[in-house]
Amino acid sequence: MARKRRENHETPGELNLTAMIDVAFQLLNFFVISSHPMDVMTNMDIFRPAPESEITEPPPVDITMLEIMVHANGYAIQKHNVRFEELDRQLTKLAATSKNVSVVIKCTGDSPHTGLVNVLDLCSKVKLTKLAVFSM
Amino acid sequence: MRKQEELPQSGNLTAMIDVVFQIIIFFVCTANLQDSGLDSRIKLAMAPHGKVETKKDPLQVVINVDKSGTISIARTPLTQAELASVLRKSVNEAKRYGGEVPVVIRADGGASHQMVRQAMDISAASGIWKIKIAALKEKGD
Repeated sequence: MARKRRENHETPGELNLTAMIDVAFQLLNFFVISSHPMDVMTNMDIFRPAPESEITEPPPVDITMLEIMVHANGYAIQKHNVRFEELDRQLTKLAATSKNVSVVIKCTGDSPHTGLVNVLDLCSKVKLTKLAVFSM
Repeated sequence: MRKQEELPQSGNLTAMIDVVFQIIIFFVCTANLQDSGLDSRIKLAMAPHGKVETKKDPLQVVINVDKSGTISIARTPLTQAELASVLRKSVNEAKRYGGEVPVVIRADGGASHQMVRQAMDISAASGIWKIKIAALKEKGD
């Protein structure tokens, strides 16, 4: 009798956690398997003049304004066709002298949207923030 | 008397644990609902140097443009007239609070600019000059 009573004292308020742990692991497995890494989004600001604006042509190009053309086959900077790497180099060089440069990006209708995003990304990289997009 | 002392505080926790798990599942399932309005068919172009948008404006309007040029907001396809109407209403609503309507254009990287410009032109015509172009900074998988 004495031994039995001691056994009862050893497990006074014991709770059987086996089922809960089973469920917890089931849930953990479910979430680990079903979750996937999230895409990181970015939003790049541009200025878009109104289509019915009286100014149909952008102002004449000067040193504080850079014109980048995005067309179906590539890019042009100040009307000279360049490859993407060259565009990157020129923008980096320009941004090193001044961050105050306004960049006018002109896109032809048949140019891919990726082209515009690439130019915006380059501008973001070199911290040029005054960006305007025109459609041709 | 002795029997009661042997079983002190042995409450049944099953119900509480059930509720806790229900709450956990609820929060996990609803955590990403705010992104469910984004059209997952649109493959955004990559822009690794863009800054990550941390603040979310409740007035923000996200315009989706898919590869075929279909314009939609929250997975609802819209005609150009409907989009113009939605944006004008948003602008009028924002004016009451003295704010601006942030417009984000989520266009498929493979779409031509001709398709994206529709959304840009309608936004500009509605008085929204500052537009954000959505891109992917980092691919998740």
